[in-house]
Amino acid sequence: MTDQITTDPTKPAQRMRAGSMTITIGPWIVAAIALMAMPYIFTSNSALTIMNQMWITVVFALAYNMLLGQGGMLSFGHAVYAGVGGFACMHIMNMSDLFAAMPLPVLPIFGGLFGMGLAMIVGAFSTRSAGTVFAMISLGVGELIAACSVIIVAFFGGEEGISGDRTYAMPFFGNEFLQQIDVYYLTSFWVLVSAVLMYLWSRTPVGRMANAVRDNPERAEFLGYSARWVRFYSFVASGFFAGVAGGLFAINYEILTEENLNTASSGVILLVTFLGGVGFFFGPIIGAIAFTLLQTVLSLQTELWAFYAGTLFVATVMFFPGGLAGLLMMHVPAFKLGKANLLVVPYIKTLIPAAIGVFGLCALVEMVFHFRHAATGDDEMTVFWMTFDSHTIMPWIIAVVVTAVGFGIMRMTAPAMKEAWNAANTAGGKS
Amino acid sequence: MSTPALELTGLKKSFGKAEIIRGIDLSIGKAERHAIIGPNGAGKSTLFNLITARFAPTEGHVKLHGQDLTGLQPFQINRMGLSRSFQITNIFPKMSVFENVRCALLWSQGYKYSFWNLVARSRRLTEGAEAILDQINLLERRDMPAGMLSYAEQRALEIGITIAGGADVIMLDEPTAGMSHSETDYITDLILKVTEGKTLIMVEHDMGVVFGLADRISVLVYGEIIATGKPEDVRGDPKVQEAYLGAALEAEH
Repeated sequence: MTDQITTDPTKPAQRMRAGSMTITIGPWIVAAIALMAMPYIFTSNSALTIMNQMWITVVFALAYNMLLGQGGMLSFGHAVYAGVGGFACMHIMNMSDLFAAMPLPVLPIFGGLFGMGLAMIVGAFSTRSAGTVFAMISLGVGELIAACSVIIVAFFGGEEGISGDRTYAMPFFGNEFLQQIDVYYLTSFWVLVSAVLMYLWSRTPVGRMANAVRDNPERAEFLGYSARWVRFYSFVASGFFAGVAGGLFAINYEILTEENLNTASSGVILLVTFLGGVGFFFGPIIGAIAFTLLQTVLSLQTELWAFYAGTLFVATVMFFPGGLAGLLMMHVPAFKLGKANLLVVPYIKTLIPAAIGVFGLCALVEMVFHFRHAATGDDEMTVFWMTFDSHTIMPWIIAVVVTAVGFGIMRMTAPAMKEAWNAANTAGGKS
Repeated sequence: MSTPALELTGLKKSFGKAEIIRGIDLSIGKAERHAIIGPNGAGKSTLFNLITARFAPTEGHVKLHGQDLTGLQPFQINRMGLSRSFQITNIFPKMSVFENVRCALLWSQGYKYSFWNLVARSRRLTEGAEAILDQINLLERRDMPAGMLSYAEQRALEIGITIAGGADVIMLDEPTAGMSHSETDYITDLILKVTEGKTLIMVEHDMGVVFGLADRISVLVYGEIIATGKPEDVRGDPKVQEAYLGAALEAEH
């Protein structure tokens, strides 16, 4: 620490008021406009479907991060809170009298309340400690409730699940939500409201103490707060917003099955959240968008999308524990020092060859997969818009060479990038 | 005589067969600065942990302002006006310095588990935290992650967190451990300043600090208090000299 960033120490009070007394609303307005504008940019129905899925995942991932990032609780069974909220909403949809008197946009609140109710019951005993004990209980409870789906058929509908029809709701200003676009705006409204509320939550006393308990539960206890109750409140709030996500899922897909409860879904949301970055509030939003794109767009291109998603996750855990958000925020100091421009050329020199290497590697993976699994006689395959015969030697040589050259150049230019990085993050004269 | 701030009666603690605290009776008056000294392994930190309910005593009672603390949790004891620091720095490393202090203020300012207040909106919280930071000279480090502070600064922050809640009984566990001379002087002055009018109980190895700060001293040896009294009396006590001070003073000179 040679260069301290010091602001004018003579005016701390003014600095404080300018800094932390205002709640910034700029990003939220941008988000609201973006949400409204998206359907005009991506007009197709499939794009709307993808975006709906994205926003639902955003709500769920943000709710999950209230536990993982803010509260330091690793849950392996958080899908059940979203799932139970969703199932509850399906049942409300099927109560025709009640549902006919309820405008559809209100429905997610009930999903939230049921998710919250379940979280209150489970949280009463699971939040006693964080760490392994909490993780194990969450896993056990998750499995238990997922198993209930075939036992308590009346609620979970067994293997077929529960389906309903959202259009039976009371028309909302004449809108019956027949079109995908109507559902899109409903989902967008809820994603914005939920995100704002969750953000504000993190700025309340109990939200701040969630961070304190995450960092050091014992110290928090010696400040007058019961770590257990702080965790409980976080858990219940997280259950509520997970339930809202479940309610949105119910509205969007009009069917819920065991799949919404099981460990695989819980695992996905952990992956999404971690990929986006648990250290920043907006991390899970990025994670949800990136993962949904992988899941929907990439899965159209290759059967191996889950393999790539898994590789990306492992790479994130190993090399960028801060996730995508952490990767972005890493660059803030360089921008503050006005030296971010130093990074542009080294980045191009290193990251483009790296990307080419990765593409080459992907091509090899695809070719191996095709070689091993394609039907006999089906020798032709297409990778990166190039069609060739996977049983001849030439494509293999090309792919290997591209991979080797890409990574080779990356290795050569990496030290220069590192140097540029250090230079860009050091205050003062040119180094 | 008014009720003592802290009263220990027949306090004992065993871990398995090992008796660490072997019956302690001690009464510490209001606004008294009391130091607990003793050789390594005498049970000083254990005694601290018993008082603050980090451990449950095997026998005996702790009374804070006349109220029995048996069976209470640390957070409940803290709410009754007892606050402590730790021998090993115990802060919230990932949070900013300011945030550390603000968290320490939340309960005492009555926010409890509120989720309908925004902390940044409370001028009282912000100004309170700023005032504490000013007291511990960390105002300039306000927005740094606490884990990035220097060791002495972290110790100062630890003291800041400890006093922030306005507790009237402050317990400091080796506040100057591992510090250089100048840092020790700085922390000693700081302790004097921030514990003005409060009851202070501290464990300390540095005799300079002890004799500079304490109104009374208790000497703990093998889980028993062998002497309690004014610094000069304790210094003159032959038992103390034999058990502890002699060796320590010899080492110092």
